[in-house]
Amino acid sequence: MEQLIELYLQLQPIELIQVILWGIAAAVSFYFSIGNARVWTSISLGFFLIFFSQAYYLNPWAVSYYKISAFHNIIGTVAIMVITHGFLEYYVFCRTFEISGKKVVVYLATMLLLAASGLFLFINPAPSPNTIRNIRMVENAIWVFLAVMNLELIRKIYLAIKDSTISKAFIAFAIVFFCIFLWKGAELYLQVFQWDKDWQDIVAVMADEVSDIDKYPLRVAFSETVKQYAQVASSLTVGGTFLYIYRLLR
Amino acid sequence: MFLLPKGNPLFENLVTTKLRLPDVTAKLSASSFTGYASFVFNSSTVILVFESGKLVSAFHEEKNGNRRTGLEAMSALTELMVTSDSGTLNVFKLSKDLTMCIHALFQGEILYRAQELKLIDIKTLLEKIRLDQLNGCLRIYTEEHSAMIFYKEGAPLGFFHDGSQDIETSSSESQKIASLPGAKIDLFATQSVEELMSMDLLEVVNIQKLWDTSLALHQSELTKADQARAERGQKEAGFKLAALEEQIKTIVAEHVGKVGRGIVDKEISELGGKDSLLHAEKTAKLLAAIERSARLLISATATKQMMEKVSATITTARSEI
Repeated sequence: MEQLIELYLQLQPIELIQVILWGIAAAVSFYFSIGNARVWTSISLGFFLIFFSQAYYLNPWAVSYYKISAFHNIIGTVAIMVITHGFLEYYVFCRTFEISGKKVVVYLATMLLLAASGLFLFINPAPSPNTIRNIRMVENAIWVFLAVMNLELIRKIYLAIKDSTISKAFIAFAIVFFCIFLWKGAELYLQVFQWDKDWQDIVAVMADEVSDIDKYPLRVAFSETVKQYAQVASSLTVGGTFLYIYRLLR
Repeated sequence: MFLLPKGNPLFENLVTTKLRLPDVTAKLSASSFTGYASFVFNSSTVILVFESGKLVSAFHEEKNGNRRTGLEAMSALTELMVTSDSGTLNVFKLSKDLTMCIHALFQGEILYRAQELKLIDIKTLLEKIRLDQLNGCLRIYTEEHSAMIFYKEGAPLGFFHDGSQDIETSSSESQKIASLPGAKIDLFATQSVEELMSMDLLEVVNIQKLWDTSLALHQSELTKADQARAERGQKEAGFKLAALEEQIKTIVAEHVGKVGRGIVDKEISELGGKDSLLHAEKTAKLLAAIERSARLLISATATKQMMEKVSATITTARSEI
């Protein structure tokens, strides 16, 4: 117990604030999804999953459970996919004014995807730190790709509804996804060149692996800085954006 | 129109819209009626003269002076009875001789027409009437006054002048009019009663067919008029619905931005066009769809205000269409 308290004391307040901000985003988007079209359901569910996945890492022993850790990376991947689905539906609405589909389909599809991922992890051997790093890399790659795609969708949505009340909120969303792009992009960059912390931990215990991190200290330092600040900025902007939307649409 | 002696009135002021001409003629024919039936309409008058149930003459005169007789008069009468929404029928029983004179007035041979009295020797004319044993009617008139003397076989049956109701025995009024400056005469002669009895317009003219044709024609005209009215109404409703659609678009666009027009356009199209605004159920669907879309773009309060405005606009417009 004392060990747990000590571990929690080591937590940076900024990490806790970040999780709370993702929680605000999830809560506000869930509030808008009540009695509203499916668009908000997808966005709400996505932000809720991000909150869940971020909150997991507040657990001091999070990395000790490999399968659960890998599962949370998958949750993060599913989260950005569901959010993108929401923005895609919003874009379709702006172009065709069509609102279709049932909310329950979104919930069921997400649950099935997560259940299938869980099953995949369950039937396979416990992932090694290297496998978890690979899963995280895939997650980051998907985040980067979908962040860019969402930026384009948001641009088009904004152009279609720029004289509506909610249009300014889409500028805020664009800032959020730009921060996410920097955050996940910087992390992916470090992973691709094996300059990330996970790889350094692996190299430390595996004698046959090497790292050239010492040759590029500036690049690594810059990327680490971008990653840290962009991660904080992402949670701050997302929390701020949803509070702003709450003010606009309540 | 000539004023005619009323004799013995059988029916007065019967509303023609409730009558069928074939029934009227059949009834008068079957009762061996002698006299005349006068159909008075706003624009014209029709007189049917019966002699012992036989229709011996039909006379139609319009307000502008146009006159028609026989089959043409019967056609005009059926048309008037079918189409006119007002009109009265008066039936007066007269003696056979007087009826003969009335016939002469309408369809007799014209011996003199608008002959100025001062240019003829009236005494010689009256003598000629007596000697020729004329059956007919001598009409003496000025711009303001008129009198008629009916003759049977050259002997006066009686005198009739405007202002009187029936035949009189005194010739004083006729003489008074004859002495007025500008007095003129018309002299009409006809066959004897016996000869008149040999003709019956009811046998020549198929009244039932004439009536049915007029009825069918009128019905077709009414249908055409109804169609034209309906088309006009539809067109007007179409314009009003288009205006309503535009009003809704404007309200929604004011609240949610220019996409509002597209939202309304799409939803109305999906419900089957602007005519759907006339149906309560479809209108409710439209309102629900607009509200659902608006909630993705504006606040709940603004959505509520907008929907109240749209609902009120539709309600007002529908009451006017």
